[in-house]
Amino acid sequence: MKRRTFITLAGVGAGLCIVPPSLYYVAPGTHEYALKLIKKELYYLNITPGSAEKYVEDYFNKLGNDTVSTLKWKTTYYLRLNYEKSERIRDLIKYFLLSSDFFIHKTDESKPVNYLGLYSPYTSPIPNPYSFIIYPPATIKEP
Amino acid sequence: MKYDHYDLVIVGTGFASSFFLKKYLSKVKTDKKILVLEKGYFFPQAERVKVKRDIPTAYQKYDLPYEDAFVNKSKTKEWPFSIGYGGSSNCWWGCTPRFMPNDFKMKSKYGIAQDWPLDYHDLDPYYYEAEELMSVSGPEDTPFPRKGKYPLPPHAFSMVDKIMHKTYGNQYVSQPGARASRATAHRNGCMAFSTCETCPVNAKFTIENSNLGVYGDTRVELLYGAQVHRLETANDVVKKVLFQQNGKEMAVSGEVVVLGANPFFNSNILLQSGDKNPLTGKGFGEQLGMQVLIYLDNMTNAGGSTWVNANGYMLYDGDHRKDFAACLIEANNAPYDIRLERGKHLNVASFRLVFEDLPLDSNYITTTADQFKPAVHFEERSQYTLKAVDHMKQKMPGILSCLPVEKLIYLDPATHEGHIIGGTRMSLDREHGVVDKHLIHHQYRNLFVLGAGAFTTFGPSNPTLTVSALSLFTADKSF
Repeated sequence: MKRRTFITLAGVGAGLCIVPPSLYYVAPGTHEYALKLIKKELYYLNITPGSAEKYVEDYFNKLGNDTVSTLKWKTTYYLRLNYEKSERIRDLIKYFLLSSDFFIHKTDESKPVNYLGLYSPYTSPIPNPYSFIIYPPATIKEP
Repeated sequence: MKYDHYDLVIVGTGFASSFFLKKYLSKVKTDKKILVLEKGYFFPQAERVKVKRDIPTAYQKYDLPYEDAFVNKSKTKEWPFSIGYGGSSNCWWGCTPRFMPNDFKMKSKYGIAQDWPLDYHDLDPYYYEAEELMSVSGPEDTPFPRKGKYPLPPHAFSMVDKIMHKTYGNQYVSQPGARASRATAHRNGCMAFSTCETCPVNAKFTIENSNLGVYGDTRVELLYGAQVHRLETANDVVKKVLFQQNGKEMAVSGEVVVLGANPFFNSNILLQSGDKNPLTGKGFGEQLGMQVLIYLDNMTNAGGSTWVNANGYMLYDGDHRKDFAACLIEANNAPYDIRLERGKHLNVASFRLVFEDLPLDSNYITTTADQFKPAVHFEERSQYTLKAVDHMKQKMPGILSCLPVEKLIYLDPATHEGHIIGGTRMSLDREHGVVDKHLIHHQYRNLFVLGAGAFTTFGPSNPTLTVSALSLFTADKSF
């Protein structure tokens, strides 16, 4: 492992102890940062206005807006992580895609992406993105 | 409780008890009196779904936490189960492959552990019966001996499954499952949500939706909130079952007594009762499971109609079992395994690798100061199993060479497979086990001890179908 990578990951593992207080205050708010991340990572998608904002609001309401959670997110920002390095970011992006009509449209990037409500098999209309609901058996080619 | 004495007293309402009762009721006279003692309560599936939707329900109080019911001495190992009417049918995931014939013959075929005192052919007719009662969906061509069609057609393959099936034939098949591939009279068709512990659409077989009819039978009296802690015995015969209900100590006598709780509680009740068999509570465990994510190059894994689409048997049976464990592959189709790279979101398959383990004496169940709570000591995995994990990693690239594999990512072993096996193992004689081939206790000959606790060895296949078939078998042979 490269030394810089090690220091970065160790920072997360050490639970914020290396984040200078001054940088904590200059980091953007959690919601604002989460929005920036979604737009940065999914730059190639046409996300309809308000969709990512509503998703972020619901996501953090579900997650809980506690101080520890906020601190962790700000640390993530300071360390300039992306979804390959941070499970937290990975979950944020993954659940945005699962909570939208992106998979219903068979990952067609040309179609606008709308947020349909937080992904849950018990409450949301969004099916398993792999499943026969979107890809009926007759559409799966024989090898 | 209507009477002081019953022809049959049965503890628990899960798979083991319910399938036993189904067969028993079909064979005995109409004047028999049966008492069923259930520790928990009736918590309907529709109410469980409400909880998942954050909708208040008066039944919430019946969601009894399993963690509080026993003392777990191994904090890194989890043992989830469900307390209440239907037992763990309320939290199982509906996988119902049969065992392979050699799973019953580990000693004579491979020199490992012990043979079961019965074999595949003894269970074969009861496998069919259990599959019929559960309306199992499955393929016609299976790696284990089986003739004809399953009650329901198989689930649909994904693209990865199709390629694997074309390469390996009946060594890679649609998984037989109790997640209905079509709607039935009492269940809906599976929608592949992959949250089977509480199925959002009631497609999974449970005791509640089973239509077995046993608890509505006029011969059967069912008591809820009845916690059994001990059996009273005299001259190697069980005389009474002692339990508490609403804080009151109670006792009931039975001509025949059946323990159908899970292996933790069956063992605890036996140990509380003075069972001196040195193997009671010993050698419990379960399979080791781990996940491999298979990143695919320019190919999606779209398709599939349920959570576990397929089973692979390429690492299961064979002479390698002389040296290391069998492994069953489960092809998962879960939404949370998507990729985030542009254009590759569905280019991933996820296989669960399930390894058999051995009944080790270092893993055991004991009583505690609380008569209702067993202590569970799980110390270790066998080297037999750990060696199989290394072997699997060597073989997996070759097995997957029919797919355009970009990379493999092995995740850490899971904390549980949702199974509790052993503790009252089955054997020919009392020196090698606790119960005989009919699940009758070697010492107390009017006592049946049902369930996966009786398994002599822990093959990699999911245990529930075999638990159910064993219950049908033993009730059929004994009454």
